[in-house]
Amino acid sequence: MDAPAPESVSPPGRERCATGIQGLDDILGGGIPRGNMILVSGSVGTGKTTLTLEFLVRGAERGERSLFLSVTEASDKLIQNLSTFEFFRADLVTSGALVFVDVPVIYDRLGLDREEMTAEDVDLLVLTIQGLVTELGAKRVVLDSLTSVCYRIRKEERIRDFMLKLSQALSAVDCTTLLVSEVAQSPGRLSLYGVEEAIVDGVILLGNTRRQGDIIRVLQVIKMRGTSHSRAQYVIELTPIGMLMAPHLKGGHQEGG
Amino acid sequence: MTGALPIFDLPEVDPKLSDVLPAGWLGLLRGTSGSGVSLLAKQFAHAGLGHDPVHYYSTYERTDDVERAFRDFGWTPNGLEVINLSDEYYERILRRDLEVSRARETGLTYRDLSDHPTVPLRRRTYNLANRILADLAAMRGSFRLVVDSLDFFLEVLDPSDVMMLARQTRHHAQNLGGQVLLVIQPDIHERRTSGLLEDMADLVVDIHGAEPPRDDRRTLHVRKVRNHPERTQALAARVTDHGLTLVSPSDRDPSRTEE
Repeated sequence: MDAPAPESVSPPGRERCATGIQGLDDILGGGIPRGNMILVSGSVGTGKTTLTLEFLVRGAERGERSLFLSVTEASDKLIQNLSTFEFFRADLVTSGALVFVDVPVIYDRLGLDREEMTAEDVDLLVLTIQGLVTELGAKRVVLDSLTSVCYRIRKEERIRDFMLKLSQALSAVDCTTLLVSEVAQSPGRLSLYGVEEAIVDGVILLGNTRRQGDIIRVLQVIKMRGTSHSRAQYVIELTPIGMLMAPHLKGGHQEGG
Repeated sequence: MTGALPIFDLPEVDPKLSDVLPAGWLGLLRGTSGSGVSLLAKQFAHAGLGHDPVHYYSTYERTDDVERAFRDFGWTPNGLEVINLSDEYYERILRRDLEVSRARETGLTYRDLSDHPTVPLRRRTYNLANRILADLAAMRGSFRLVVDSLDFFLEVLDPSDVMMLARQTRHHAQNLGGQVLLVIQPDIHERRTSGLLEDMADLVVDIHGAEPPRDDRRTLHVRKVRNHPERTQALAARVTDHGLTLVSPSDRDPSRTEE
């Protein structure tokens, strides 16, 4: 057993955006550097959406307006699923502290629902997200998922362009962003096209591991600019009160992420 | 055989056609703007009323205007099913295009998105050809169908899709004893498309106005009757209060010549 304690060192002066997930904030030295754009990567069922939703709920509770941009699942359904968690508060949605927007509606209204987005379409999407964040004064944004958006953008240079522009636009208003990246269960893969992880400021990898016949979820911070952090694997548990983390006892076999 | 059912309600023409046309057929009615081609299409629709379901697909005229045109010529539009494709197309496609252009120009606010939080799928799946084929698939017996005009289809759809629509429409007509009239402008479409349509049609009728347009005189030219070229003919006609009627030889202006 070699269980590293969650610890990190962050340079002084850089404000942190606490995720509200205790173990993760410990690893990150208090949270994600504010204004950074982070990739939350993992295969199906590893807890990506739950992690990002908790990040928003915790932010909204602290008075930071939070915006969830849902590409793959209707907001109504998400909120319904979210209500099974004790950490979720419906009043945050009704008060507007936690805002859900269905990206397919943006596609529809801007005519982006075509097979492949043009360079102009990509700019329009960035401008629209930037406009929403500015209008709402959002300090936390989740895009679930970046992969779905990339499927429509297709070309690698346009994906790169989209991510760079989005990062600049949201960082300029001190908005911390989590981008959900869906990957197949193949070790080492962090994104669909492979360019995504190079552009973001950080990567949090979620996966499944087999231990004594059970499949357990694990989390690993692969990269976090501006933070000296542990790269050890942590076991996570999605409980009604939120995500719990514990050091991972070695000896398992990694399956996902 | 189409029995006693009049085709254009032109006693001098109908028997010569109904004698030889199959029970289910597809016709092409060609005429330039102002020639009276839409009037003749309505006359064909009117002649079928009271017998079979009559569907009139309009691509330029509003439903009210089609019905008013009927009344103008003393025809009662009872039982006429007018389908205004231009309105449907506007509602489902063009209006959305306008909204998209506006949104792309001015940007979206949160309110724009929260007022309509879900994507209306229906309007994005509109297809002119499917619209007609869906109606045809619901037919269970003989019918009369007018598309006025096919030009609009050729404007917004790929010509091969329009040809497929025409083929399937003809197939339904043959199977169910339907009578279909497709209105089209001559000389504005690709020769291949025009040629294929003409080849497919069992009946081709051209209508011409005087050039330059002067009065109510028209020439009706039955150019093709499948398997019966001897039934083709050119006839003088005029627009009266009762629609298009043929001019008897004694009424013809000797100073004019037919085409």
